[in-house]
Amino acid sequence: MLDYSVFHTIAWPSPYAWYFFVIGISVALFFFSALSWYREEFRPLRHSAFYLSFGLLVLGGLLLIGDLSQPMRFLNMVNPAYLNFDSPLAWGSLNLVAFGLVSVVYFVFLRKGEQVNAKRLAVAGALLGFGLPIYTGFDLTVHQHRAVWNTPLMPVLFVSLSLVSGAAVASFLAKGPEKLVSMLRSFMLWGGGATAAMLVSLLGTTAYGGSGSEVTFMFMTSGTMGLIFIGLGMVVGLAAPIALLLAPVGRQPIGIMAAGGLLLVGGMALRYAILIGPQIVHTYY
Amino acid sequence: MSEELRLSARETRGKPGVRRYAMVIDLRRCIGCDACMVACKAEYDVPLGVFRTWVPYRVVGKYPTVKKQFLPRLCNHCDDPPCVRSCPVGATYKVEDGGFVLQDYDRCIGCKACMASCPYNARFMLPEHRTRSNITSVVDKCTFCHHRVVQGLVPACVQTCVGRARVFGDINDPSSEVSRLVARHATQVLRPEQGTKPQVFYIGADRNMTEYGRDVYDAREALDDERAVFNRNHTI
Ligand code: SF4
Ligand code: SF4
Repeated sequence: MLDYSVFHTIAWPSPYAWYFFVIGISVALFFFSALSWYREEFRPLRHSAFYLSFGLLVLGGLLLIGDLSQPMRFLNMVNPAYLNFDSPLAWGSLNLVAFGLVSVVYFVFLRKGEQVNAKRLAVAGALLGFGLPIYTGFDLTVHQHRAVWNTPLMPVLFVSLSLVSGAAVASFLAKGPEKLVSMLRSFMLWGGGATAAMLVSLLGTTAYGGSGSEVTFMFMTSGTMGLIFIGLGMVVGLAAPIALLLAPVGRQPIGIMAAGGLLLVGGMALRYAILIGPQIVHTYY
Repeated sequence: MSEELRLSARETRGKPGVRRYAMVIDLRRCIGCDACMVACKAEYDVPLGVFRTWVPYRVVGKYPTVKKQFLPRLCNHCDDPPCVRSCPVGATYKVEDGGFVLQDYDRCIGCKACMASCPYNARFMLPEHRTRSNITSVVDKCTFCHHRVVQGLVPACVQTCVGRARVFGDINDPSSEVSRLVARHATQVLRPEQGTKPQVFYIGADRNMTEYGRDVYDAREALDDERAVFNRNHTI
């Protein structure tokens, strides 16, 4: 390590974490809307979840474009003459555009009441939608020199975070039906459990990695980043809502909504910490 | 397996018929005068707070026999560059003949994927406003002075180095000075485990200096001063 080096900035700042958060919820809400064609209990979410998903998709797109230092050139991302298919970002931008187009057509079919077409598109949209958290994960995974990011867990972790955050938002939209609320509770519980298991194994491998990994572990588990990652993300945002959902009150709508609120706080904190934490050590190198 | 078959599509070191420029930095000769940094700043009007080349150091030994070990840094013009792979729009590319890793400023959208993927911190974002250049708000980095090399000159940092610590040339040519230095001396590259095949070779680099050390966790005051000044003056 050096005694003096010029300061380097991190590459990806916090708007990306907001993008991950917003797009993850959008995808899961679309999935719940699509599920309503196959599971009757999700029927009350068909329209409301989709409309919110669409709004969040637009917001996510704006966040992504807004973070480019040349926002007016965002069309380069879908220009076939420029696209570099070695980059997961290129696949991601195509996936995002395709999901957006499917969402628009799905919207039209829903408005017109064209059930058969809407049902078909719902499946296509849900599949494309899950491509977004998967590519988000790959976006991080491909940077071979970064601890935490460069693990095969990332795409799976982002899908799981997407389902948990989406179910949390859906619990606020689902007004009443017991079976739906209980299904959302299951999504939160199992998704939250899977996320926690992945994070624990991630922390273990990071703590026992090479010196870069170990230092990343130290940065992510201490100071302000530690408060965000461990405090807000894992304790307040995962352990507490899981405990709440397992308690008797966790079967009532009010308990499920409270857990949903905590899971949303945790979902954002975890995405922020996973994005920023592994970039800190690099700024000193 | 022949040498040719072992080369990936991108690698040009050892590829017949093309040049592969490289730099050798002899740390035994570097006196830390920072003339290379100044020459580079002058050549490109590199803005305040960011660097195409920089010279960090480490203090070693025990008083009274202490010394500073310098480690001049720049883009390694990697033979298998992750920055090229990660750019979604092909704004970062590698020149086949010469191996330069360059930027297409008109195409760059500023997604910073290349910055995230470079293991060497060689890339930075140009500010929104510049006095003498209209290249703004895109990612930039060292070009191995491509514009000088194509005219038969060496990079500005090499030209100016008073200790002649920096040597530049075609490593695909066995009779070049860089080839001879790499053949005769034990050389090190930065973070070889990343598989990027850097083309900046150091003579006399200590891995204690080039690795991430646990002491970064208790960062030196100087580093945090720099960070504070940077945060005051930049919004990225
Ligand atoms: S040092 Fe960084 S910027 Fe330069 S070629 Fe290698 S990966 Fe790319
Ligand atoms: S910032 Fe520019 S050069 Fe870097 S990856 Fe994005 S588009 Fe390519």
